[in-house]
Amino acid sequence: MAEPEFERAKRSTKWNSRLSWIWTEYSVIIAFLILFVVSSILSPRFLEFSNLMNILMQVSIIGVIALGMTMIMLSGGIDLSVGSVLALVGVFSVIALNASGSIFIAIITALAVGAFTGFLNGFMVAKLKIAAFIATLGMMAAARSIALYTSDGGSISGEVEGFSAISNSSIGAVQSPIFIFGLMAVLVFILLHQTRFGRYVYAIGSNEKGALLSGIRVDRIKMAVYTLAGMLVSVAAIIETSRLNSISSSSSGQLYELDAIAAVIIGGTRMTGGRGKVVGTLFGVLILGILNNMMNLMNVSPYLQGFVTGLVIIIAVVFQKRE
Amino acid sequence: MSSFLSMKNISKSFNHVPVLKNVSINVEHGEIHALLGENGAGKSTLMNILGGVHQPDEGAIVLNGQTVEMTTPRTSQSYGISFIHQELNVISDLRVYENLFLGNELKNRFGFVKVEEMCDKTSDILAELGVDIHPKTYVRHLDTSYKQMLEIAKALLHNSRLIIMDEPTTALAEHEVHRLFALMKNLKQTGVSIIYISHKLKEIQEVCDTYTVLRDGHVVGSNRMKDENLDEITKLMVGKSVSEDRLTESHSFGPVALEVKHLTSEGFFKDINFTVRKGEIVGFTGLAGDGRTELFESLFGFRKKYNGQIKIFAQDVNINHPKQALKAGMGLVPKDRKENAIIKDLNVIQNMSLSSLAHFEKAGLIKGRAEREKFNFYEQKLNIKVPNPKTTIDKLSGGNQQKVVIAKWLEVNADIIIFDNPTQGIDVGARREIYQHIVALADKGKAVIILSSEASEIRKVCHTIHVMYQGEVTAQFAGEEATDDEIMSYATGSKRGR
Ligand SMILES: Nc1ncnc2c1ncn2[C@@H]1O[C@H](COP(=O)(O)OP(=O)(O)OP(=O)(O)O)[C@@H](O)[C@H]1O
Ligand SMILES: [Mg+2]
Repeated sequence: MAEPEFERAKRSTKWNSRLSWIWTEYSVIIAFLILFVVSSILSPRFLEFSNLMNILMQVSIIGVIALGMTMIMLSGGIDLSVGSVLALVGVFSVIALNASGSIFIAIITALAVGAFTGFLNGFMVAKLKIAAFIATLGMMAAARSIALYTSDGGSISGEVEGFSAISNSSIGAVQSPIFIFGLMAVLVFILLHQTRFGRYVYAIGSNEKGALLSGIRVDRIKMAVYTLAGMLVSVAAIIETSRLNSISSSSSGQLYELDAIAAVIIGGTRMTGGRGKVVGTLFGVLILGILNNMMNLMNVSPYLQGFVTGLVIIIAVVFQKRE
Repeated sequence: MSSFLSMKNISKSFNHVPVLKNVSINVEHGEIHALLGENGAGKSTLMNILGGVHQPDEGAIVLNGQTVEMTTPRTSQSYGISFIHQELNVISDLRVYENLFLGNELKNRFGFVKVEEMCDKTSDILAELGVDIHPKTYVRHLDTSYKQMLEIAKALLHNSRLIIMDEPTTALAEHEVHRLFALMKNLKQTGVSIIYISHKLKEIQEVCDTYTVLRDGHVVGSNRMKDENLDEITKLMVGKSVSEDRLTESHSFGPVALEVKHLTSEGFFKDINFTVRKGEIVGFTGLAGDGRTELFESLFGFRKKYNGQIKIFAQDVNINHPKQALKAGMGLVPKDRKENAIIKDLNVIQNMSLSSLAHFEKAGLIKGRAEREKFNFYEQKLNIKVPNPKTTIDKLSGGNQQKVVIAKWLEVNADIIIFDNPTQGIDVGARREIYQHIVALADKGKAVIILSSEASEIRKVCHTIHVMYQGEVTAQFAGEEATDDEIMSYATGSKRGR
């Protein structure tokens, strides 16, 4: 028995509310556009096709990891172990590659190791009720240690022809890591925004008790989230390993967790879960990529890049708080 | 001529939807003023403006003859205004006394908090409210009714000049409400003013001196309370009078749907036995601490530590998770929607569909259109007032949020459905409609269980009523033969065994 006046107001406000909605939902896109325009003014080389492809190429590995991180952070968790796990996956998959001579087996090994470490993270968080920060901090140390141990602290190179083709080929003008990143982004987008699983992830991050009382298997969903995120780290590890046809147990993946978490937060996903979007993370990744690229183009010391990343995270969080 | 508080010509819009239009309200010293109106009329919004939570677009607040600006909740507090919000705001991980003194801790001159003194004061105020809980208990372990009493105690603690009570009694039984009223009458004697929002008109009649009725953001009536005009007020609120007749006819029931034998959980409930048949509506009532909510949370698989036997359609079941309960054909509409039912970051439609997403899937993907159409169906059926169903659910008024929760569980279509305090926050008109829907479920052969603190209310719908006291069923009545007084004497433990 809604009053006519109410109905009228309802219609006339649609447009206005849509504008403010775009601003709150997509402020990261606006930030991206501003950065993009400023960059193209500051450096004429920025807009060159090869440079733009270069940026995409640079962000593809962090991008794939950040997709998994988005799922985890939406569920109210965090994963600090992604960089170490990337090294561990890389080491195991190259060993499997060299031992079997089969690229297929290398990929299966990578996915299995990533899934297993992810599952362990999920198990610690969901079943043992360890805070995600602590559980994955432990995994971060442990995974790096196993990687170092297995490869005696050094690098291992692939000895099978064709492995490096995974990252070093192109489909048309698009290099395959970019293509893989795009594919993963589409898959995660569909998973989070159009499936039951995705809806449950949001619900758990927003109100865990409410989700449980709605009949959601909270523990299982959480374990699945960490496992899937681990498999995305596997994908990133394959790209990384194949690109140089080698993996370093000590330096590969260092600080990747920082960049991945930064991209997710810049993309507008809330630290405590329940709110955020895959598209936001994509733009977060791109913003970081453009910043790094611009610093290279303008000859800023690479040592300062961490400073800028740090600054941008803090600014992003301040904006989130204001909301 | 000047009142203690005048809110003058207040207007407020959210996203250009006008919610309050030129609303004025006057409250005198030592007056209990009822603020009435149907769900979504703007009551909470008006009080949020007074409490400094929202800023008005137009209008002024005059307190003791001075125009004041309530820029933050703190400012409002500093003018001597306490606010009991519609949704519970207690912090589960703090102790009872810590919650009461949150932000106003008593400190000695070295800046250390005076724990014992705070505990003593807490005990005093809880005793006045007739609540028997230890000040150092963690709030997490308390039932909703107790949490609601904590909210009340918190507001009483501050020696305020004006207390805003936005539906403070939704989880309380009449007995407990009377204790609160006695306190309110005492406060009134000392000159404290109270603005009281409730959908329970009997309460209003008992304790309020004056009233203002809002309808769709306008003031449609304001007067002194007289005994005979309850029906008038109802008409002002919802545009029609509401019948008080019994809703359920007794008829024959189907086979037993749920059978519970010797169910016991240490510290919560003891040796519970009952059956519910298809088509039957069974009620459970009692005071805070009676264990009924814990009992049904256990049946639903949310609590795991209990002994006893549960049979669903004559099959022994062992339910350890709400999902298993759903699969076995059981649904539970929980109480305390903010904590247990509302997913505040999901939009209104998504809240409705959360427990039945399988209904909206095709090839593994959720069809947004199907969800939306289903929501439109419930929007009409339950008369849910939603400016925009794509906004997050916390933008709806309390009563409308509750209707979405009910829609969510109607959509699940369980064979055995448990409603825990289903009408919390729902207005007089809609309340009867909700009960009609519940009766219709039973007529369709569902087994229905209603938990409520309001015996007088569920008496109208239940075929059988169980009264609980401190974890035990102390009496059982057929719905038609129960009287409020008799139910009350078993609920308070002054009569036992039947
Ligand atoms: N923060 C907000 N953003 C947008 N709309 C809002 C917001 N708060 C309230 N509204 C809208 O304002 C209207 C009035 O809501 P309000 O909560 O004041 O109602 P109420 O009279 O308290 O109802 P109830 O009895 O259900 O609690 C509703 O239509 C609601 O959707
Ligand atoms: Mg309200």
